[in-house]
Amino acid sequence: MQPLRIAVAQVAPALGLLDENIERHRALLAEARAVGAGLVVFPELGLTGYLLQDLASEVAMRLDDPRLRLLAADTRGLSAIVSFVEESPDHRLFIAAALVEDGELRAVHRKLFLPTYGLFDERRFFAAGDALRAFPSRLGVRVGISICEDFWHLSVPSLLALDGAHILVNVSSSPGRDIASAHEEGLGTAASWRQLLRTYAQLTTSFVVFCNRVGVDETIGFWGGSQVVAPNGDVLLSAPLYDEGLFVADVELGDVRRERIALPLLRDERPELAVRELQRIVAERAGLVADDDGDGT
Amino acid sequence: MTAGDEPPAVPDRPEAPFLLPGELAIDTAIARRAIGEFIRGQLRQAGFDRAVIGLSGGIDSALVAYLVAEAIGAERLLCILMPYRTSSPASRTDAEEVVRRLGCASDVVDISPMVDAYFGEADGAGAGGGDARSASPLRRGNFMARVRMTVLYDRSVTWGGLVVGTSNKTEALIGYTTLFGDAACAFAPIGDLYKTQVRQLSMAIGVPDAIIRKAPSADLWPGQTDEAEAGFSYPELDRLLQAMVDRRRSDEELDALGFAPELVARVQRLVATSEFKRQVPPVAKLGPRTAGVDYLYPRRRPGSARTRPG
Repeated sequence: MQPLRIAVAQVAPALGLLDENIERHRALLAEARAVGAGLVVFPELGLTGYLLQDLASEVAMRLDDPRLRLLAADTRGLSAIVSFVEESPDHRLFIAAALVEDGELRAVHRKLFLPTYGLFDERRFFAAGDALRAFPSRLGVRVGISICEDFWHLSVPSLLALDGAHILVNVSSSPGRDIASAHEEGLGTAASWRQLLRTYAQLTTSFVVFCNRVGVDETIGFWGGSQVVAPNGDVLLSAPLYDEGLFVADVELGDVRRERIALPLLRDERPELAVRELQRIVAERAGLVADDDGDGT
Repeated sequence: MTAGDEPPAVPDRPEAPFLLPGELAIDTAIARRAIGEFIRGQLRQAGFDRAVIGLSGGIDSALVAYLVAEAIGAERLLCILMPYRTSSPASRTDAEEVVRRLGCASDVVDISPMVDAYFGEADGAGAGGGDARSASPLRRGNFMARVRMTVLYDRSVTWGGLVVGTSNKTEALIGYTTLFGDAACAFAPIGDLYKTQVRQLSMAIGVPDAIIRKAPSADLWPGQTDEAEAGFSYPELDRLLQAMVDRRRSDEELDALGFAPELVARVQRLVATSEFKRQVPPVAKLGPRTAGVDYLYPRRRPGSARTRPG
């Protein structure tokens, strides 16, 4: 397989300034093309900024929005993942990340898990997605897209890998917090994410691409620190914390095959077992059947 | 309230002129970077590139001056010294040393005539009437803090910069602030750092040693120190607040951690009674869409900046 250059755009979107952010994306796509990137990944809500609140409806776009078409036109010979507020035909607002290739919008992932606790209030403003798919891409492998909190649920990387993804992409607007000096990375959020990214790469024997934004929305500062991790857990790219920039990593997609032959975790996965047990658990949690243990949980 | 006794003893070690409990220690490099991004972001999004700070000679405002100078350059910072006639001369000297080291612009506004015009002097009542002449130190301290606020907001116009807050997390949580006084600001870079963390960061960024070592004081009357007035030390208070607020420990757990139940009860009362100081005033909900309730916008959004971000 051809080596693939992945460019991670660790940008600081301007809150609510859609046109300005689109221009920034287009400039970075040109820059990525110039350095020979085949896949360019932008962060969660990179086209709109994160802490939108009631601005969400004002910056929302239908998938046929001319501004998305304009951006897509810059992806000839490239694959890009861009994120924005999607308004569905029935006027639900989603946090979306689209796979855009060769001038066309190929597939859209809608954020599944909307954190509404602590400093997060996403469910108030957005609808949650209902589907998870590994999307075929011009890269010759399937790409599994997830958005920030999606990756804090084990089922997501697992399902994407089972659905055939060789590259798991997570686009994020992760607020940096907990600066206790006890943390390895000096930032609790960074330490947690990095542990999780390596673990997912190893357990799914896939590439993991993490693109996190930088900059500030209101009280929240975003920490960057984007990464590319190989299927064996090697960290191929670790972008600096807080610095804006386009960072690249060269990956050998054939590493996925090599790793999966040597370490056939996915081969030995038991999805039918998971389905059976999940059906039972779902029924028990809904109170439809008695729990075998009889402990009422 | 009484004036303080002796300031608490300070260990004579240059590397640690204060007590820093391990659980409160922060990564100062990350803190400086994150706060720098915050300061630049707040100013840019508001369409400003300059800042104003009230410099008291104490550690909080000194640290904020250093952080702002590091984030946007000392030439964009104006420090205003606003002594009252009974303010400690050492405060003035320490504040001047910060200005000298940073090389930022500064101005001195003696607030005595404004304060005395209200409370009156020995030879007669002021605008506040006869009762004001016997005003408590608390009343006077609050008034002074609000006079300083009006000076800062006036100078923010002439300087063309935002007022940067100097409150820390400890004083905000126990309510040791004056509403619309020292608590008034455009944004608060160290508002999520406990006092002991302020000291740690001040060491790292190079705040003058004399400022780090001296006992914290609101300087509302001669010889006052925060810790003598409050009756507990900052390391002790910070450990307790962190356990209560950040780690959500129950009373039983706090007891097991060795905090005296009387101290816990007292601090919990301080936190609860000052809740109003940490929030914007409630608006009576009458219409279909009410600011802060169901009209929710980021305070910096398209069109809200004074000029377009450059």
